[in-house]
Amino acid sequence: MSSLSLAEKEAIILANDSDPQRILNMLIAIQYGSEEGYIDEETAQLVGDHLHLSQARVYEILSFYAILKTEPQARYVLKICNSTPCLFTGGAMLAEVLETILEVPADEPTPDGLFMYHSIPCIGACDQGPVIKIKDTVFADLTEAKVYQLIDDLQRGCYQEL
Amino acid sequence: MIKRNQPVLLERVNKMRQATNVGEYQEYQGFSGLLKAIEMEKEAILDELDLAHLRGRGGAAFPLGKKWRHLYGAKGDTKYIVCNADEGEPGTFKDKALLKHDPLSVIEGMVIAGYLFSAKAGYIYMRGEYLGIQKIFQEALDNAEKAGFLGENILGIPGFNYNITIISGAGAYVCGENSALLNSIEGKTGRPRVKPPHLADVGLYLQPTLVNNVESFAGIPVILREGGQAYRELGTEDGGGTKLICLSGHIKNRGLYEVNLGTSLQDILYSEEYGGGSSTGRPLKFIHFGGQSGPIGAVQHLEDCIYSYEGLWDKNLSIGSGAIVVMDDQVSIVDYLVQVAAFFAHESCGKCTPCRLGTTRILELLTKFNNQTAVVGDLERLEKMLMHVTNLSACGLGQSVANPMKSGLAYFPEEFEAGIREAVAPVKGGLW
Repeated sequence: MSSLSLAEKEAIILANDSDPQRILNMLIAIQYGSEEGYIDEETAQLVGDHLHLSQARVYEILSFYAILKTEPQARYVLKICNSTPCLFTGGAMLAEVLETILEVPADEPTPDGLFMYHSIPCIGACDQGPVIKIKDTVFADLTEAKVYQLIDDLQRGCYQEL
Repeated sequence: MIKRNQPVLLERVNKMRQATNVGEYQEYQGFSGLLKAIEMEKEAILDELDLAHLRGRGGAAFPLGKKWRHLYGAKGDTKYIVCNADEGEPGTFKDKALLKHDPLSVIEGMVIAGYLFSAKAGYIYMRGEYLGIQKIFQEALDNAEKAGFLGENILGIPGFNYNITIISGAGAYVCGENSALLNSIEGKTGRPRVKPPHLADVGLYLQPTLVNNVESFAGIPVILREGGQAYRELGTEDGGGTKLICLSGHIKNRGLYEVNLGTSLQDILYSEEYGGGSSTGRPLKFIHFGGQSGPIGAVQHLEDCIYSYEGLWDKNLSIGSGAIVVMDDQVSIVDYLVQVAAFFAHESCGKCTPCRLGTTRILELLTKFNNQTAVVGDLERLEKMLMHVTNLSACGLGQSVANPMKSGLAYFPEEFEAGIREAVAPVKGGLW
């Protein structure tokens, strides 16, 4: 996966009619389309220019909404649900297992830049917990063994689309 | 004709091969609610809604007929229709099923609203975690427009011009609060507005605006198609219709179900048709209703409970969003509530001080009880803090933080008392 070109970013903005109402749609599409998984300053400026918003306004939005990021992310960001339905049905195991496998604490990328994990409040898959979400894909009903398998699969490039 | 114990909202969910196909939707009575509505006097539509006694399914349970009548009477040439699809309440995944498997029913409900209020623009604000579903919904919108149910001169009625736009959320629980949601649609940060004025009078872009939940909109076509009375009879005196419920936690058959309001809670928990009992082999201990902001009930006190608005109100509980999170006896209530408090401290938008600081103080206090480092007086501090946050917060987020805490305290006081380190001398001085 490579990062989006200027033309591709502009295409996303235009596909949303350069409409400030749909600023979140655009920012998410651009962020998920980029290899580093964040909105850099240049992109924030680009969106601001097209929507006639100051960069401060764009950054106000970037810093308010949890999905949007202003710092480079790992190649695969593993999101764990820490709300009660997931946490108390086996979800507490996930952070522990991930720390063991990846040897980094939450929110810190692995030295090779491939993985990072952190907790998020809810992904709407409470009946399938424990879950790990990567971008828009949910890996459900996880066990310790399945987590090992998932990390292995990701390392071997089985999920290039993510 | 609809009967009790038949799926009403989930009927098509289990049958349709392609959820976005208008022709297939119509095979299952799709758009017949809209076709009926356009033959009716507008006042008569409102009468049917009143008769149906549908309470808002987002969680607040406000009678939908009253809300729609308020907007109908609001002054303004431009009125907006907004569907709240921000479903961020942990334990809740019902709207996801409708958005993904029966999007046209939500669209039909929104088009009926567009017709009734002569609105030109409708919005559906869908949480950022449902990106894949946003694509499905867009396909359903495009198909509906091609079939003449959206766009210009809908159904050949001159001047009936109405479109629906999908706005994505980006991860903020507070955007489920209606005024925060409207701010977010306007391209701002999703912080709630000060109310009054009511959103029906001053809403999106300061115009009169209707905001309803996905499940509420999906119920509208059923009411018009079958009649308000028939819909009401599916439920109970204090709330008509069926309810989507989401079972999760330590329950065998986790998942989404549709029940008539008035079903026994014991059936929901233990019958094979629904929950099927405990998944862990341990006895069930407590139930968290309606999401993180809802109240908690002790299973042993709920043997005669009827799952309906009044049935739960009688037990100081509420239906909320329809979440039913069940925990077994190995879960400590204090440990559970620490996680709930952490959720609110994380999700408070920070705009008003009582919520921003209060949620943090509540989390700190509960953590002390959980670590058994609370001191004499902390229980009173906790109760006082809960009262402050409830009474002083500006929006529903802060106002409902105390619901799970207070009910947890009421049912299991001994677990809190066990967290107090008696060796420490009482703290003197003020209680915040």
